[in-house]
Amino acid sequence: MDNETSSVELTERLKLIESMMAEGRQRTERWGWSFVLWGVAYLVATAWASGLVGGSVWSQRYLAWPLVMIAAGIATGVGISRMMKGQPATALGRAIGAIWRAMGISLFIVLMSLAYSGRYDTHVFVAIIGGMLGVANMASAIMLKWKMQFACAMVWLASAVVACFVTANQAGIAFLAATFFCQIVFGVYAMIRESRRRQNGAVHA
Amino acid sequence: MPELLELNPVIHGKLRLALLSLLSGVDEAEFTWLRAKTGATDGNLGAQLTKLEEAGYVSVEKKFVMRKPQTLYRMTEAGRAALAEYVAALKQLLGAAI
Repeated sequence: MDNETSSVELTERLKLIESMMAEGRQRTERWGWSFVLWGVAYLVATAWASGLVGGSVWSQRYLAWPLVMIAAGIATGVGISRMMKGQPATALGRAIGAIWRAMGISLFIVLMSLAYSGRYDTHVFVAIIGGMLGVANMASAIMLKWKMQFACAMVWLASAVVACFVTANQAGIAFLAATFFCQIVFGVYAMIRESRRRQNGAVHA
Repeated sequence: MPELLELNPVIHGKLRLALLSLLSGVDEAEFTWLRAKTGATDGNLGAQLTKLEEAGYVSVEKKFVMRKPQTLYRMTEAGRAALAEYVAALKQLLGAAI
């Protein structure tokens, strides 16, 4: 070691390593927009399917969920391709992405099957969505050690459980409440955190 | 008294240390991403990456994506081991200085 190398310089090197490693890490906060997007999509589809939206265009209620979900899926795909352009992949990012992709595909197939089989029921619908979103949020929260997302997972699971015991209207309210808190509020919270992190600025070498 | 570990001079350079730290957290990274994260100029970044490549700490892959050239950098096992040794040495030196 060079005698002139001070402990201050060494500490700076250690901090540089930590900050650069953090830069390479995938941040779930960056995905806040997708939580808000899907939250809004659930609310629009619910409003359309339940006849809360007027006008001739909105009269085809049976198209509400398939059309809104496909539109949200396409918007998410476009957003992801733009966001990930030039971004390096990480093992953790791949693992979390795999959970959400698998959940999305499974949810789409199961709900479409329920709709076309005519066995659609609000209780089943809320229980399946709540259960699957609960699992995805919980797995992601455990991997990231993120308590706020774990709380979202618990709210989704609670809505799924509640839907098994209450009336259809109450199950619908549980779904809307979970959508509001776990998609829109949580998504906005994640976006604010990401915005603050960007304002603080990255440490440049 | 235990002998103090030497700091690897290849890694000790500030920009090279930043580059290895960045690459340690990702599978592979584009030149443009590394430039954005470090704020370094093209010339300086290229020179430091070449030094790391010559030391066997990073590997380079050049390819074309949609007819555009793309240069990808990956950390090698030797690079990972060297960074781990550097951090251990750094901690030991800091421990001794306190």
